[in-house]
Amino acid sequence: MFVTAAYRRQVLPGFGLSLGCTLVYLSLLILLPLSGLAFKASNLTLGEFWAIASGERAMASYRVTFGASVLAATINAVFGLIVAWVLVRYSFPGKRAIDALVDLPFALPTAVAGITLATLYAGNGWIGKHLEPWGIKVAFTPVGIVVALTFIGLPFVVRTLQPVIEDIEPEVEEAAASLGASRLQTFTRVLLPGIFPALLTGFTLAFSRSIGEYGSVIFIAGNMPLISEITPLLIISKLEQYDVIGATALAVVMLLISFVLLLSVNALQWWAANRHSGHGGRGAGRGA
Amino acid sequence: MMSAPALRRANTEPRWLRSLLLGLGLGFLFFFLALPLLAVFVEALAAGWPAYRDALSDGETRSAILLTVFVALFVLPFNVVVGVAAAWAIAKFDFRGKSLLITLIDLPFAVSPVVVGLVFLLIFGAQGLFGGWLAAHDVKVVFALPGIVIVTMFITFPFVARELIPLMQAQGKDEEEAAISLGATGWQMFRRVTLPNIRWGLLYGVILANARAMGEFGAVSVVSGHIRGETNTLPLHVEILYNEYNAVGAFASASVLALLALVTLVAKAVVEWHMRRETRMLAAELPPEKAGVVP
Amino acid sequence: MSIEIRNIGKRFGDFVALDDINLNIPTGELVALLGPSGCGKTTLLRIIAGMESADSGQVLFAGEDATHLHARDRNVGFVFQHYALFRHMSVFENVAFGLRVKPRALRPTEADIRRRVNELLQLVQLDWLSDRYPSQLSGGQRQRIALARALAVEPRVLLLDEPFGALDTKVRKELRRWLRRLHDDMHISSVFVTHDQEEALEVADRVVVMNHGKIEQIGSPDAVYTNPASPFVYQFLGNVNVFHSRVHGTWADIGRASAGEAPGGEAMAFVRPHDIEIERFPVIGSLEATVQEVHAVGPVVRIELAHASELIEAELSRERATVLALVRGQQVWLKPRQLRVFATPEAVLEEGGSGI
Repeated sequence: MFVTAAYRRQVLPGFGLSLGCTLVYLSLLILLPLSGLAFKASNLTLGEFWAIASGERAMASYRVTFGASVLAATINAVFGLIVAWVLVRYSFPGKRAIDALVDLPFALPTAVAGITLATLYAGNGWIGKHLEPWGIKVAFTPVGIVVALTFIGLPFVVRTLQPVIEDIEPEVEEAAASLGASRLQTFTRVLLPGIFPALLTGFTLAFSRSIGEYGSVIFIAGNMPLISEITPLLIISKLEQYDVIGATALAVVMLLISFVLLLSVNALQWWAANRHSGHGGRGAGRGA
Repeated sequence: MMSAPALRRANTEPRWLRSLLLGLGLGFLFFFLALPLLAVFVEALAAGWPAYRDALSDGETRSAILLTVFVALFVLPFNVVVGVAAAWAIAKFDFRGKSLLITLIDLPFAVSPVVVGLVFLLIFGAQGLFGGWLAAHDVKVVFALPGIVIVTMFITFPFVARELIPLMQAQGKDEEEAAISLGATGWQMFRRVTLPNIRWGLLYGVILANARAMGEFGAVSVVSGHIRGETNTLPLHVEILYNEYNAVGAFASASVLALLALVTLVAKAVVEWHMRRETRMLAAELPPEKAGVVP
Repeated sequence: MSIEIRNIGKRFGDFVALDDINLNIPTGELVALLGPSGCGKTTLLRIIAGMESADSGQVLFAGEDATHLHARDRNVGFVFQHYALFRHMSVFENVAFGLRVKPRALRPTEADIRRRVNELLQLVQLDWLSDRYPSQLSGGQRQRIALARALAVEPRVLLLDEPFGALDTKVRKELRRWLRRLHDDMHISSVFVTHDQEEALEVADRVVVMNHGKIEQIGSPDAVYTNPASPFVYQFLGNVNVFHSRVHGTWADIGRASAGEAPGGEAMAFVRPHDIEIERFPVIGSLEATVQEVHAVGPVVRIELAHASELIEAELSRERATVLALVRGQQVWLKPRQLRVFATPEAVLEEGGSGI
């Protein structure tokens, strides 16, 4: 739409008040504190910063965090697509309740999720005791981290996909079928391309949540340095050793990654919304 | 040409595939969501009902519950006021930098809770920017209640605004303009027209913000100091008990939070139902060519 | 109450929505702002209502400067294109809104509000719907409730934005006549915006034709139709055939000669289809053409003709068509009963789509 700065007088009241209120709150609570982090980090030279950020333990923690997050987000992309499809397309008893349950990871405090998953997947837990005989250890290993992050990320994928699958017009599939496409062909050639941006957005949302996740992971991870220590935990342990500068350097790395992911999500959503609408940016908005 | 039933058949998966997908999807949800939820209550009651009751009537658990409720009640009004203000400015007016502002509102969701805690530690902590000044004036922020409140405000900021912005954008500003042209003052317009129109969206945002406020762990953990009976919120209390191998105690407290989660899910479902109904009403009010655009 | 618009200008960024608009609307008149979408008519209406502020110029109500008066103090009734009924209020409360939000000192008593709202609902013949909600009404009913709501505050001016745009044809025709009667009964000045020329010509006392932020012509419905002031108005109001002097030398030159202008330069002649006479034999000043298609549409017969590979449309009465007994491929001669010639400006009429 159009952009204009000419606001000599608005009919609707409260523009200045509401925008001012928002900007002050946002600046005081969020922007200034975050820039405080950069300010603190600026005490370091680039070389010192790099030495901390690329230390052995730090690098190992990035590998664990990113590796587990990518795995968890991938599992969620696959199963989230199935869950979303099943919830939109099929009818079965208890569907409403199950649909509501998908949001559990949003509603359940992460600490509760953490201790519960750790208990379930421990060697004597409900699930762990069936896996142990097969030589599969989940709790207190990197696999446990993937489990916790899968729990945390699931709703992001499902909730991003559901409305998109709901919006698919049945005529599109009917048209494909009437033109002789098999069900698989219809799915891969007609449906999947339409769903794909949303799937990617859901994946990125789940991934970006996983990177920063702390509460649900620490109970099940085992937290062995170099093996199953995630970056947020490394920040905490540096703090506990009064290594504030070290913690700050790692936090800056995490914050930069957050920014990049936030911008990617925005770009993805913009792409999903605009990719087929062409470039018909007509200059003027309000006409008669 | 295929007949209609043939098309319909072509439009759904074969029976075996449907069963497979249904099994995979529901199985996944069972193992990852239902089982953990069930486990919380089973573990909490593992030592019987009296042990559960005792664990919950423990003084420190009580004070953790009270602290958690207090923090949420303190933070939510800020969320409501600023959330509505932000949504009003963004949805009803055009200005430069609007999409940047929307992105900034989402920022707290993107930042790791641990980083959030650290940020406020750096500002208000002993070695922080204001640490010296605060110590000199005997004001405690970090490792005290104010710190917990501030990080909770940070973490929960986006919920209300995020919910209201698309809702208010979809509603447009015609009704408000109509109210003004009929002589209403700004406050009359807001109270009689805007507020009734956004009440369900507002409630939805508050429910989500409340769940997060009561359940936040990472950020609060950094700034709370874990002082039992004083700065221990319920999620932190769960951690302490768990690390002391007091499984019953930990899961008893956890079950309170899990109940909160269940209440949240039910409330959310109810509000969603109302919101869908209103979206349909909105769609019904628009002429057909415009109705399709409403999400 | 009279409305006077002086030198109003408005831009949105680089887009000129209104360019130096001047307009007088005397008390009691029903005026239509007519033009294609994007011509600035809605912006002008919103500026009169105080919903939008002009960059320059003045708005006067009854001779008093109202330019800087806030929308809530202008005492205008505004009917929105999509009605903008308050979806959380019943029909009754919608109509009562303007009375309930009056300052305490001016606010009528509850009994007075009740009486007044019921009167208005009777006026719009919808008193039986007072407990319903907007989503339970049909489009035409919503339109009338929106009108009743606007009238409740006894406005000095009634402004309507595309009042019939979202309704189907039959309801639209009924409401048009009803609006006309209502306007006459209420003795107020009304302005409505429309892109439908038939609507403007049928309802309004005066039609203001707008294009590209400018007023093209102001006049009675009859005047703007039969005597268009510009090529745009010609094309926007009704069907018209355009003859360029380059292609159809004869007619444009004849027109120019009859208008007393010296020949020379490019010119265009405008002839309405029903102003074309068809003869079976050549007459003076006639164009030769071939019949392409003959369609009988209700009371008239439309004939498509080709002259030098250009299409010409003509309209005959059924009787005349019977007499001529035209068939496809037949050679005929055309003569204009009435035509207007304009000098061809640059990039003329590139988008002035011919109205239906």
